[in-house]
Amino acid sequence: MQNKSLVSHIGTRLLLMLIILTFLFFLNPKVSFAQPIVLGVPISRGYPDGVDAERGITLAVEEINAAGGVNVAGTKRPFKLEISDTRDLEPGVPVAEALLAVERLIIEKKANFIVGGPIRSEGALAAMDVLSKHKTVSILSAGVLSPAYHKRVAENYDKYKFCFRTTGSVIPMIEGTLGTFESFKAKKGFDKAYIMVQDVAHARAAGNSLKEGLEKKGWKIIGYEIYPTGTTDFSVGLSKAKEAKVQVLIPWFDMPEVSILMKQWYDMKVPALPIGYIHALQDEGTWKATDGKVAYSVVLYAKAGSVATKAIPMSEAFVSGHKKKYGIEPRSEWTSTSYTVVYILKDAIERAKSLEPEAIIPALEKMDMMGTYGKVKFDPKSHQIIENGDPKETAVSMWAQWVDGKRVIVYPDKIATRALELPPWMK
Amino acid sequence: MDKRKERLDRGIKVRTEGIYAISSWRGIAYVLLPTLSFILVMLTLPLIVPSTTWQRIMTIACIFALLALSFDFLAHFVGIVCLGGAFFTGVGGYISGLLNSAFGLPMAITIPIATIAGGAICTLFLIPCLPIRGIYFAIVSLMYPILFHRVIQALNIFGGTDGLPGLATFPNIWVELYSIIPITLLLTFGLRRLVNEDFGIVLRAIKDNDQAVRASNINIAWYKTKAVYIASAIGCFAGACLAHLYGWVGLSLFALDFSIFPIAATVVGGGGTLVGPIIGAFILAPLSEMLRAFGPLRVVFYSLILAGLVIYKTEGLLPFLQRKYHQFERWTEV
Amino acid sequence: MNIFIFGLVNSVILALIASGFALVYGVSRLANFAHGALYILVGFATWLFLNRLGINYIGSILLSIIIVSAIGAAIYRLLLIRVKGMPASEIIASLAIGIAIMELFRWRGFISEAYMLPPFVKGSVNIAGVFIDWQRLIIIGVGLGMMLFLWLFTHHTKVGLSLRAIAQDKHASIMSGIEPDRTAVISLAMGSALAGIAAVVILPLGNITVETGYMVLTNAIAVCIIGGLGSWAGVFAGAFLLGFTEILTAALIGPQWQMVVVLLFIILTLILKPSGLLGRQKELEERV
Repeated sequence: MQNKSLVSHIGTRLLLMLIILTFLFFLNPKVSFAQPIVLGVPISRGYPDGVDAERGITLAVEEINAAGGVNVAGTKRPFKLEISDTRDLEPGVPVAEALLAVERLIIEKKANFIVGGPIRSEGALAAMDVLSKHKTVSILSAGVLSPAYHKRVAENYDKYKFCFRTTGSVIPMIEGTLGTFESFKAKKGFDKAYIMVQDVAHARAAGNSLKEGLEKKGWKIIGYEIYPTGTTDFSVGLSKAKEAKVQVLIPWFDMPEVSILMKQWYDMKVPALPIGYIHALQDEGTWKATDGKVAYSVVLYAKAGSVATKAIPMSEAFVSGHKKKYGIEPRSEWTSTSYTVVYILKDAIERAKSLEPEAIIPALEKMDMMGTYGKVKFDPKSHQIIENGDPKETAVSMWAQWVDGKRVIVYPDKIATRALELPPWMK
Repeated sequence: MDKRKERLDRGIKVRTEGIYAISSWRGIAYVLLPTLSFILVMLTLPLIVPSTTWQRIMTIACIFALLALSFDFLAHFVGIVCLGGAFFTGVGGYISGLLNSAFGLPMAITIPIATIAGGAICTLFLIPCLPIRGIYFAIVSLMYPILFHRVIQALNIFGGTDGLPGLATFPNIWVELYSIIPITLLLTFGLRRLVNEDFGIVLRAIKDNDQAVRASNINIAWYKTKAVYIASAIGCFAGACLAHLYGWVGLSLFALDFSIFPIAATVVGGGGTLVGPIIGAFILAPLSEMLRAFGPLRVVFYSLILAGLVIYKTEGLLPFLQRKYHQFERWTEV
Repeated sequence: MNIFIFGLVNSVILALIASGFALVYGVSRLANFAHGALYILVGFATWLFLNRLGINYIGSILLSIIIVSAIGAAIYRLLLIRVKGMPASEIIASLAIGIAIMELFRWRGFISEAYMLPPFVKGSVNIAGVFIDWQRLIIIGVGLGMMLFLWLFTHHTKVGLSLRAIAQDKHASIMSGIEPDRTAVISLAMGSALAGIAAVVILPLGNITVETGYMVLTNAIAVCIIGGLGSWAGVFAGAFLLGFTEILTAALIGPQWQMVVVLLFIILTLILKPSGLLGRQKELEERV
C-alpha cells in the first residue's frame, strides 16, 4: 500500500535518523567536534504541502550528511534539522502563530538558516520582517506564489536582503503558461478557453493576466469564474463551458476539492482539455483516488523535478531517492524545490566559507548550479529565482499530463518525454 | 462509620469582612495578598522567563487574556455569550494597520484610534442582534468575522489575501511588554470595579431578569450597548496591539482561534471572576507553545485537556484557589 | 434546468448533513458540535475497512455506521451526560471532542488527496440536456428515503414516539415512564448514524479531508438556524432555501460571493426571526 509511508512514519524515521547520526558522531572523531549547521524549517505539518516540503528537505539533509556534511572553510559540518509546526495553512489559525514559530527557531533552536516555509503568502510576507530583524538568511521553497514577495525585496533591498525564494512567482509562471498555450495552439489548433480560478490572490492574479495575455494573442475567453476555497460543485461552470464549445479549460487551484472538478469534467464528458495549475492533482496517488478520471488533464508544476527526465540529471537521482525512502514518487513540486534548496545552501556555504549572512548573501546572489528543476540562479536585485528558459540556463516549470496512470512531461519541449494526447470524446 | 467533608471559613476571613479589615496589619495583608501577588507575578513574569521568545509568548498571552477578559465580562456580567473575539481583533487590527500603512501615522496614535473607532464599529454591527439571547447571539457574533473575511477576500481590498506587511512595530520587547501588561492589569481591575458600581449592578440585574429591569423604567438596550462597547473596545485594542507586534495585518486576524481561545481561557481560569480568564490565558498560551513539538497532535491534546476540564472540573482554577484561601476542610463524623 | 437540478442536489446534501444534528437537538436539546467529526470518522473508517482490511464496500459501510453510532452513544453516555443542561459547557465539550477526533486523523496522516470513496454506480446520465452522475441521483434518492423513514419511524414505532414525546414535553413523558437519558442516548446513536449515512453517500463525490468535518458542522448549524432548530419541516425548508441560494448566487453574481450571501442570510434570519423559518420557540420570540 502506498499510504503506509505517510507522515505517521516520518516521526519514527526522523528518530532513527537522529540515532544513526549520534552513532556517526561517536564513530567518527573528526565529525564529532564539528558543530552542526542548524536548518530551521517552519512549515504546516498537518497539510500535504508541508509534508511534501518536509520530505524533500529531510531526504537532501540525509544524503548530504551521509556524504560527510558541508565543507565550511575546511571543516566538515553536518546539517541539523529543526522542524517546527506553524499550522499556517489552517484557516482558523492566526498567522502570528507561524511568526512565533519562526522566531523561536531563530532564537531558541539557534537556526543558522530558515528554509521551506511559511507556506501561506500572508505568513511568509509577515515573516520577512522577523527575518530581517534577526538577520537570518531564508530561502522559501514551498508555497507563496504572490509577486508581492520579491517586490518587497527589490523595493527595500537593504532591509529584506535576507529573503530568497525558489518557488516562483505568478508573473513568470504566467509568461511560461502563455508560451505553453501558444505551443498547444500551434499543435492542435485550440483557440477557445474557459478560465476557472480559486478565490485566492495568486490564483485570481493569474486568472486576470492569463485572460489578458491570451486575448492579446487571439484567443477567445468564453468564461471566467472565481470559486471560493472549499467549493465542491463546479457543474454550473462546466456546463457553460460545454455549451460554448470551448477547447481548453484553464483551472487554477490549490485546494484539494479540485479533484471534484475533474470527476465532474469526466462524467459530463466536457469536450475541453483541462490545462492549468491544479495543485491537488500533482500527486501520484491521484489516478487511483479519482478512478482515473483525472486522465488527460495537463497539470502545471511550478518547478520541474517531480517526474524524472533525462534532460535534468539531478531529477532522476532525486526521484529514485524519494521512491526508495518513501515508497512513492515525489508528490508536488514543493518536494523537488525543498530538496534542491538544501543543496543550494550547501553550495553557497562552501563557496562563502562561512555562515555569516554578509558572506552567504553574495554567494547566493552568484549562485550557478544545477538543481532538480534546471539551473538555479537568483536575480541579485529581487532574490527571485530566474526561470523560463533552457533548463541548462534557468529554472523551468513542467507541464505533466496524466496518461494511463502515469505522469508524463508534455511541455516544455526540452524536457518533454511524450506528446500531448486528447481524450476520445474530443477527437 | 460514615464521614463527610466539612468546609468552614477561616477565622481571619470572617474578621476581615467589611471595614474591620483595616483594624490590623494582618487583616490588611490577608485581604491584599492575593491581589498584590497577582500584580507582582504579572509584572515580574517577563523578567523570569528564559528567552525573548518566551517574552513574546507572554505578550501574546496578554493579547489573548484581553480577549478572554472581554468574553468573561459579557458572558458572566451582562449575560451575552459573545464569540466575536475574532471580529474585534480583525476590526481593531485592520483599522490600526490601515492608518499606519496608508497615512503613516505612528502606533501611539493608531492604537487608540483603533480602540475607540473599532469599538464603535463592532458595537454598531452587534446592536441589531442585542435582543436575541444565548447561543443565538453567539452564532451571529461568530458569523461576523467569517463574513468580513470573505468580503475582504471577494473585493480584494486592504491587501486582500496578501495582507499588509511591514507596519510599524514596538521599538523593543521591553516597551512592548511593559505597555501591554500594565494596561491589561488596569483593564482587569477597572472592570472589576465597574461591575460592582451601580452600572455593574444594573448589568447583572439584566443578566438575571431583564424584564424586571425594564419594569423599573431602565433602558436595557442602552445599558447592553454600553457594555458591548466596552468589551469590543478591549478586543479591538488587543487586535491593534497584535497587528503592531509583528507589523502585519492580514485576513487571519479574523481567525476562529481568537473566538475559541477566550472561552477556553475562561473555562480554565473560572468564569465570572475577571481575573480567572487572565490566569487561564497565561496557562494556555505557553502550554500551546510547549505542545508545538508534537506537531498536529498538539491540537488533539489541547482539545482533550479542554474537554476534560469542562466535563470533570467545571468550576475553574480561580474559584478553586479562592476556596482554598478562604476556607479549610476537614472530615467530620456523621 | 441546470440550476434546478444542481440546486436540488445541493439542497438534499444539506438536508442529509443537517438531519443528524437536528434529530439530536430536537430530542435532547443538545447541540452536538462533534457532528462534523462523526461525519468524517465514517468516511475514514469506511476507507480503512475497504482498503486496509479488504472488506467489501457494503460491509465496510454498514460496519462503520454501526461503529460510529456506538461512538456517538458512548460520547453522550460517558461524557456529555455530565454537563447536560449547561448549554455553554455542552457546546465546548462536544466541540472539543470533535476537534480531538478530527485532528487525530490529521496527525495520523490522513491528509492527502488519495482518500476517496468510490461511487456506488459509475457513469452519468443525461436528464433534459444536463449531464448528472449517478451518485448525485442516489443522493437525492437516499435523501428522500431518509425523510420517509424518519417520518415513519417517529410516527409509528414505540422508540420513535418516545423520542417525539420527550421533544414535546419532557416532564409529561417522564411521568409516563420514558427515561430522558435513554432517549438521549438513542437520539445520539441515531444522529451519528444519520451523519454516517450522509457521509457514505456524499463523500464519493469528492475526497475526504479533515476540513470537510468543519464544513459539515457549519453547514448543519446554518441549515438548522435558518429552518428553525427542533423543527423537521424547518430543516428541509432551510436546506432547500440555502441550497438554491448557493447555486443561484454562484450562477448569477459569482461563486466568490456564495459564502457571503449565505452568511448574510444567517445573520438576517437570526436578527429578524431568531427561531428560524418554521421553528417555534417561545423564549426566543419574547424579545427585549
